[in-house]
Amino acid sequence: MKTSVASRIASFASGGLVRAVLIVLALLWLMPTAGLLLSSFRDPRDMASSGWWTVFTDPGQLTGANYTEILQNDAITGSLWTTALITVPATLLVLVLGAMAAYAFAWLDFPGRDWWFIGVVALLVVPIQVALIPVARLFNTLGLFETTFGVVIFHAAFGLPFAIFLLRNFFAEIPRELLEAARLDGAGELRLFTRVVLPLGGPAIAALAIFQFMWVWNDMLVALVFADPSSPPMTVALQQQMRQFDSNIDVLAPGAFLSMLVPLAIFFAFQKQFVAGMMGGAVK
Amino acid sequence: MNSAIRSSRRTRHLGQIAAVATAAALVLTACGSDDSGGGSGGGGGGGDNGASLDLPDLSGETLEVAAVWTGAEQSNFMAAIADFEEQTGAKVSFVPTGDNLSTFIGQKIDGGAAPDVAIVAQVGVVHEFADKGWLAPVGALAEEQLAENYDAGWRDLGAYEGEQYGVYVKAANKSLVWYNNTAFTNAGVEPPTTWDEFVATAGTVSDSGVDPVSVGGADGWTLTDWFENIYLSQAGPELYDQLAAHEIPWTDESVTEALTTLGELFGQERLLAGGSAGALRTDFPTSVTQTFADLEAPSAAMVYEGDFVASVISDSTDAVVGEDALVFPFPAVGDDSPVVSGGDVAVALSPDTGEATEAQEALMAFLASTDAAATWAGQGGFLSPNKALGFDAYPDDVQREIAEALISAGDDFRFDMSDLAPAAFGGTTGQGMWQALQDFLRDPEDIEGVQEYLESQAAAAYGD
Amino acid sequence: MFRGRPWIVASFLLPALLLLGALVVYPIIFSLYRSLFDASGDGFVGFGNYQSLFTDPAIRKALQNNLIWIAVAPAVATGLGLIFAVLTERIRWATAFKLLIFMPMAISMLAAGIIFRLVYEADPDRGVANAVAVSVHDTFSEGAPWPGAHPRPDDGMSEEPDGAIVLDQAVSAGDSVLLPLVRVAPPAVADAEQAVPAASSSDGVTGTVWLDFTQGGGGEPGVIDDGEKALAGITVQAVQDGSVVASATTQADGTFSLPAEADGAQLRLAASNFAASYNGVDWLGPSLVTPAIIGSYVWMWAGFAMVLIAAGLAGVPREIMEAARVDGANEWQVFRRITVPLLAPVLGVVMVTLMINVLKVFDLVLIIAPGSVQPDANVLALQLYTVSFGAGSNQGLGSAIAIFLLLLVIPVMIVNVRRLRKEAQR
Repeated sequence: MKTSVASRIASFASGGLVRAVLIVLALLWLMPTAGLLLSSFRDPRDMASSGWWTVFTDPGQLTGANYTEILQNDAITGSLWTTALITVPATLLVLVLGAMAAYAFAWLDFPGRDWWFIGVVALLVVPIQVALIPVARLFNTLGLFETTFGVVIFHAAFGLPFAIFLLRNFFAEIPRELLEAARLDGAGELRLFTRVVLPLGGPAIAALAIFQFMWVWNDMLVALVFADPSSPPMTVALQQQMRQFDSNIDVLAPGAFLSMLVPLAIFFAFQKQFVAGMMGGAVK
Repeated sequence: MNSAIRSSRRTRHLGQIAAVATAAALVLTACGSDDSGGGSGGGGGGGDNGASLDLPDLSGETLEVAAVWTGAEQSNFMAAIADFEEQTGAKVSFVPTGDNLSTFIGQKIDGGAAPDVAIVAQVGVVHEFADKGWLAPVGALAEEQLAENYDAGWRDLGAYEGEQYGVYVKAANKSLVWYNNTAFTNAGVEPPTTWDEFVATAGTVSDSGVDPVSVGGADGWTLTDWFENIYLSQAGPELYDQLAAHEIPWTDESVTEALTTLGELFGQERLLAGGSAGALRTDFPTSVTQTFADLEAPSAAMVYEGDFVASVISDSTDAVVGEDALVFPFPAVGDDSPVVSGGDVAVALSPDTGEATEAQEALMAFLASTDAAATWAGQGGFLSPNKALGFDAYPDDVQREIAEALISAGDDFRFDMSDLAPAAFGGTTGQGMWQALQDFLRDPEDIEGVQEYLESQAAAAYGD
Repeated sequence: MFRGRPWIVASFLLPALLLLGALVVYPIIFSLYRSLFDASGDGFVGFGNYQSLFTDPAIRKALQNNLIWIAVAPAVATGLGLIFAVLTERIRWATAFKLLIFMPMAISMLAAGIIFRLVYEADPDRGVANAVAVSVHDTFSEGAPWPGAHPRPDDGMSEEPDGAIVLDQAVSAGDSVLLPLVRVAPPAVADAEQAVPAASSSDGVTGTVWLDFTQGGGGEPGVIDDGEKALAGITVQAVQDGSVVASATTQADGTFSLPAEADGAQLRLAASNFAASYNGVDWLGPSLVTPAIIGSYVWMWAGFAMVLIAAGLAGVPREIMEAARVDGANEWQVFRRITVPLLAPVLGVVMVTLMINVLKVFDLVLIIAPGSVQPDANVLALQLYTVSFGAGSNQGLGSAIAIFLLLLVIPVMIVNVRRLRKEAQR
């Protein structure tokens, strides 16, 4: 079939239009972040009188001073460290406990197994706010309030339903023959789990790790209530800077950007796994 | 502790203005960078040093202080605390609470990890804390210091039901109008002294093409401060006290008069920067920066608020306090100019036993001492309610004048009414005085509606 | 399936179940119980706290906003995600584009809140949203020469509702009138000429429009003092019986001259001379704050929807679409009739996931909404936090809000469970 010249022009034009629209959209989506980045390199006195886009006409106003100051501010740099101290164990704990439980749900038989699993999955939708008051009291009794450990297990608990759900579905796809063969070789459950299931579950575990890491890293609410405010994680440290009396934008802008660096780096490095994890999770 | 984020910027600012600065402005901006032992240089006023203080040895003890401060305010406070650490061997850490201190403390007490000392801005909050049994009396050592160094007015503000719970560590003079010198020069006007002159001046400034008054209406507390100044000056201290205690209703005639007076300003779109809609979305820092950010073509000429405006000016604008940014006392509506004060009170938290530890008592006593006030004052951006502190402890003329105005008001000063009220009425976004006055700013015609709302909110909050 | 020995099953399962039990299940039960008591925790109030959910105006506002959130945010994010996914299908740099749209998901709500506070800043000189709004507006409508200029009150002139300024008294031929205005910012007249009185003409009407304010003060109102600047380019109309009979424009020295027709007419300075410059949209004002915050949420989550939908799209058989195109269907019809129905399951999953997520939004509202409008932007998750802690706290009410939030997601929970059981039967 021959396409007419007119229709070719039309399709070219519409292709061009689509491209133009996409470029505009891309710029629109990039602009807020770019604005923050450029603002973080401006003097607060400039910020009080003009917008970040003026740096394109007057690049001289860019200065690293905000960053120099924030990096000398122990409270902020310390909070980055605290964030890491919370995020890494909370991620590992969810991976280990979630994988173990998922394995049990996928390959071990016990009474009421499916009902237990459904129960766990139902917890996926529980809003985190429900737990604030009771857990604050519980932690008070147990002496876990304002401890890193308390924050870690709180995050782990609320990460588990998703972890178990994602991994169980993945593990269930492992060919039965593989496991039976290993079992015939005399492997125990622990060996089966660590040598066969975990390696095969690699992609799902990676996706989960990225998810959990970002969720914990970016959390503010849990840390606001349960973390030690004298050495808080980054989000709380920045929230403490938000004042009625003082805009503190020279701390907030670079601080917010610094706090974004790690998740953004992870995001760009592992975007494939991130997407894969979302696909797995979205079937929920 | 950390080197202050803000102080180092002030140092840089100092470099920019050094060439042109007057002595006053120079010292003001320099003070923030003077972190080490500013007190010894700043004063203490020689023999006028108040009671001497023997602090116990607290080696190995740790104390946690919680307050809303960040940046320079925080590091200035910690500079004063450094003396305490040196004298006692105790270690003091500082926790910024974010804006809602009361929520923060409540949360921590629920979790069993209350800070040792909290520094609270609202008297009403102190009363609520005391009612919940969270506070410990200050102890004998601090009582001694208070008796020596504080007027009865300030002592009583920290007491509740016969028990001394609080030590006022910091005062604010909330009866100041800051103005942009360029705007006044262009309009050919002088600082007004009466309310009528003030409104007339604003009209002239408006004619000159500059919006006269910048109001930070997005933050309810700036509006309550407007009202309180007018009310205190117009109705007088007695009625002010009665209204603050809710002994007269908010539907009282005197409130109508004060709102009518305030309406002479709020009711004229041309007198407010951005009109009333603009004022309502302007938060306090913006209300200051829009007045002083552009020195050639200012977008507003005047901004009302307390002494702390000075630090916003020097942090966020190029204006020089004492030169580009000048100040006059709140104009007199009645016979006298009002002096409304605010302040921060330190309380010892002890939700379990209701008694302070030795370390807590020592810290409270130290905070009531003139030594602490002198070191702190030397850092700048600070007014002390401590009457034993000599004015030469303040690092510059502007600060000294503001302090003198506050102290010399003697018994005529009144504490910020909204801070005396229960937090639900005087200090919570979306209700009570904050909401009422924001409604009033939105529609200054409806005085009756505002009064009725105030009265119903007050009745609920005071529990009558 | 392997029949596990009980202790093996337990050792794999118990750690996770213990944690879930203590930190997720127990809180639900505790909240249920606590929600039946008053603030102190001692007085039993039955369903009193649940009643105040619907009577307390602050909570009702939060509830109302939550409904807006649930109705709008997931739908908009999913719709945008669908559009992005379809548009990028045949673009070579689709991956780069998707990455960019997707990126905000890696950012914390706190950072996003700070970002959007900057975006929504009201001053068009500082907030990019209003900077764009203003420049678009100004492209389509020409700015007035003297925005904001007004007469003095009681100066013989009055302002009409539309902004036009009218000289109260009619003029007659031979008059030379003075039209003093004020409230023009000094920089705007820096280059203007000194105003001069207009020479009168025998049959027409002349006059001067000028800025009747002497820099530095001292001028006399209503008199052209030395140093007072002319307002050039102002349209002066002569109006008789409601219609314009003549019109003139002021010169560089502020003077104008109207022909004989102006005799007996009323002078009017047209509103177009003074239209206040457009200052953009009050994004964070009481009426727009919730949509504005929803906008920031969509910015964060449209990428999520896009990626899932794109993956679903990859699974749609090409042949069906090609067949439809061969049959003469245009792209829109293919999209409407084939793509969307085939994607329906994915779209449903995305919507539901976002709905659950929307109920948890807390940080964005807390950070973006300025203090004075926070009550207007309130949502349940934030109200729960503010009501539960602090001096005036009421944990009974807080618990009731928590349980109410849980009730809202129970339908979703049931749908999930149903699907799982169906899958299990496969």
